[in-house]
Amino acid sequence: MEALLEWWLTYQSAVAFIGVNALLALSVYATLSCGQLSLANAGFMAIGGYAGALLTLHTELPFALVLAAAAALPAVVAVPLGLPVLRLRGVFLAIATIGWGEVVRLALVNWDYTNGALGLVAIPQRAGPGVIYLCLALALFVFWRLRGSRAGQALEAIREDEPAARTLGIDTTAYKLAMFAFGAGLAGLAGGLEAHLTFMVAPSGYGFSRVVDMLVQAVVGGIAHFGGPVLGAAFLTLLPEALREVSRVTGMEPGPLRLLANGLVLLLVILFLPNGIVSLPQRVREWREERRAARALVG
Amino acid sequence: MSTVRGALVVLLTLSGVNTLAADSTARIGAALSLTGDAAVYGATQRNGILLAVEDVQKGQLPPGVKLEVVVEDDGSSKQQAISVYQRFINQQKVSAIIGPTLSTTATGADPIAQMAKVPVVAVSNTAAKGITDIGNYIWRVSLMEKQVVPGAMKTAQQRLHFKTAGVLYGNDDVFTKAGYDVMKATLDQLGVKILGTQTFARTDRDFNAQITALKALNPDILVVSALAENASAIVTQARQLGWSGAIMGGNGFNSPAFIKNAGPAAEGVLVGTAWNSASPSPANQRFKQAMAARGFTADQFAAQAYTGVLVLAEAIKQAGGKTGREDIEAGLAKVKNLDTPLGTFSFTPSRDGEHEPAVQIVKNGKFEILQ
Amino acid sequence: MQQVVNGLFLGSIYALFALGYTLVFGVLDILNLAHQAVFMLCAFTALALVGTLHLHTLVALPIAIVAAGLVGVLLERAAFRPLRGRSDSNISGLISSLAAATIFEALALAAWGPGQFRFPFGSVPDRRLQLGGAIVSEVQAVIIGISVAMMLALTWLLRRTRLGRHIRAVAESPLAARILGVNVDRVIAASFFISSALGGAAGVLFGLAFNDVSADMGRSVELKGLAVIILGGMGSMPGAVLAGYGLGIIEVFTVAKLGSSWRDGVSFAVLFLVLLLRPRGLLGQAATRLA
Repeated sequence: MEALLEWWLTYQSAVAFIGVNALLALSVYATLSCGQLSLANAGFMAIGGYAGALLTLHTELPFALVLAAAAALPAVVAVPLGLPVLRLRGVFLAIATIGWGEVVRLALVNWDYTNGALGLVAIPQRAGPGVIYLCLALALFVFWRLRGSRAGQALEAIREDEPAARTLGIDTTAYKLAMFAFGAGLAGLAGGLEAHLTFMVAPSGYGFSRVVDMLVQAVVGGIAHFGGPVLGAAFLTLLPEALREVSRVTGMEPGPLRLLANGLVLLLVILFLPNGIVSLPQRVREWREERRAARALVG
Repeated sequence: MSTVRGALVVLLTLSGVNTLAADSTARIGAALSLTGDAAVYGATQRNGILLAVEDVQKGQLPPGVKLEVVVEDDGSSKQQAISVYQRFINQQKVSAIIGPTLSTTATGADPIAQMAKVPVVAVSNTAAKGITDIGNYIWRVSLMEKQVVPGAMKTAQQRLHFKTAGVLYGNDDVFTKAGYDVMKATLDQLGVKILGTQTFARTDRDFNAQITALKALNPDILVVSALAENASAIVTQARQLGWSGAIMGGNGFNSPAFIKNAGPAAEGVLVGTAWNSASPSPANQRFKQAMAARGFTADQFAAQAYTGVLVLAEAIKQAGGKTGREDIEAGLAKVKNLDTPLGTFSFTPSRDGEHEPAVQIVKNGKFEILQ
Repeated sequence: MQQVVNGLFLGSIYALFALGYTLVFGVLDILNLAHQAVFMLCAFTALALVGTLHLHTLVALPIAIVAAGLVGVLLERAAFRPLRGRSDSNISGLISSLAAATIFEALALAAWGPGQFRFPFGSVPDRRLQLGGAIVSEVQAVIIGISVAMMLALTWLLRRTRLGRHIRAVAESPLAARILGVNVDRVIAASFFISSALGGAAGVLFGLAFNDVSADMGRSVELKGLAVIILGGMGSMPGAVLAGYGLGIIEVFTVAKLGSSWRDGVSFAVLFLVLLLRPRGLLGQAATRLA
């Protein structure tokens, strides 16, 4: 019992972080599910985090409302941003959204009211694994209802072939904008939760490397199914722990080793398992089918 | 090792001497940025800490007491730092923690130690807010910029009599931004007119535009708040662009890496710093010699980290050789006038560090005290 | 006047970097985010050649550049060719290049550590010249010169040689090029070689110019590079050059007139405005919108 408590105390923050990262990976998945590579969510996370922090530090609002605001504000901002930006295709959308993230970060660095680079400190810890996983469960519920529904099918169609979807009468702009805003809301929620988990927010936490982390977790986990990003978040958050042993054995510094592992995993996934780890069972099944068929042919 | 000790115990018992005094080990966790943005500083801090741990075993610790340090990487990220702290506190059950390299990481992780009542000694955090004011278990060895800059600038002004200044600082890093805030306040206080202010980001390498803009205003002195890697580039480019006036920098300049990378351009640069590298104090000489013997570069970050360990050892001594968390916490409050590489060290009532800062000038490729 | 020189100098490096970026995009329709990692690796290679093997800088330069080109070919083979048939190849290509960039950075960190390195004193010339009220260092002048020479060489390659014609054909339409008998695989490999050689050259020159080589030196240039190729037009070489110099000068004068806090903001503002108002950039022709 003692050991269990000790284990929980040691790893509870890791568990909480997996939850936050899962929300972020899902926010990237939201737009990837209709074929849009939007890298804007670090910027939205920053907005949510700062909004939540400011509300907690300067008002008496209950935590639930603070979180709601942290999710709502980025979603609202996403609409006027998304309208022009979502008209760009593929790579150009990615670039524009990277630019957006940088603009948010630079604005925060230069904003004296929030102490620029130092950010806001001494935020009371109002979030823990409980709240985080509750929010995650809600998000997953939404995705679950979406899947198989008419809206979900429309998104799938847009992802497969957008011009075709449009000719079929699907309002692609509305759907893409809705997912963009939804993703922004998820990222903002994650930002608000993280702010109340780690006592502080600062611009350095929302830079390009955060964007890359989110994207990698979503892709490695897999975008074939909404469970993928959660899997990816868990896998990549726990990877550094596992690597600690490897580092000791190989003698390679843990930092570069972690980067190398991230890069290799991403490369292997994108080359050989493009729909992510979550598609592994399906791929194994397919591979077994092929083997059986081939053997039937020969034997 | 324990088999040798065991054998010794057996021998001594057999020879009639009582068993050796029970020894206690104080386990300290050090969360350093060994990777990520602050990796350069974490690396040199580790050198200082490991060296100090060896040194204190030779005399500073009460007999029978050992110091053990576990160094972990916080990746310059608060998520990782928090995980490391949880491990230190709950799994490895450390008695004290030497705090994260970066101030922003510290504001995220230190509250955890405060809640768990584990003393933290910050050795490189310079932010004025958000460190020691987290709570009474957070202590700081590194001087804040506001303890270093005003005195340094006043001395410089008395020597150089400058009336106008151009200011350049890194605005996306807490270390350099804190430095700028204090520099600006001090310049205002001294009645020096700031003709122009320019900023840069930590990842920048090209400062020609900013320097040219400031140079055109013709100030008497160029005041710079930058980390060592940017500092050497700024100074080199300033000289290349033909700026021959005085240049004064803050804590970030206080590194042999600065002189090494800037080369001849570093001559004559003034540095207001927390670590007087030329100090003849015995602790400082010991520190520098030991670093040199191992081939490590002795810089301010290493000196502060080394001092952090010295302070913890002293706290254990003040606690009568006891190594528990509360013992060290009580012991830290009693640390006074300790001889360290940073000078004679004490804590202020708000648990910040206090010792004489210094103004240095680069002469012939070495830091010297400005007379 | 000094600021103009500063702008031209910064612009040369941006332009050289962007050229490689935009070449690969033009030919393969993929944003190669590993470009900045090659930029960095080439600088380290040159540093190793000069610092450890004590080669003269002018000898180390071409060796390092060729090495960078070869890394580019390897990159194409390992990370891009397997993706070629896929429908979402430009997104998966981007992700693949991101993976490669991470791996390269990890290798550099493992080999050299996180610090900042400079070329040994004396390996880089130190003289300064006066040029009508502005001071130009010899290094800066040489870098501007080499950049311009490389850009002219690239133009000659694309306009006057058979390889250049093939590259342009593949950029137009790989299928048509293949039907016309062009060895598309080899042309793509050659394009990557050239692209990475250019990026690597920019890296070495950058490292020489600022006397600073570190594992994260590519990051700041990467994002600026994006602004440059968008402004110039994806796939357009002259656009990349024009935009590179343009952005260099804009940045420098933003600092002079508005202050440096605005500098990066202006670059991204330019990026946004171009994407919203004229996505194909100054001289580009790539289809950038869906409708």
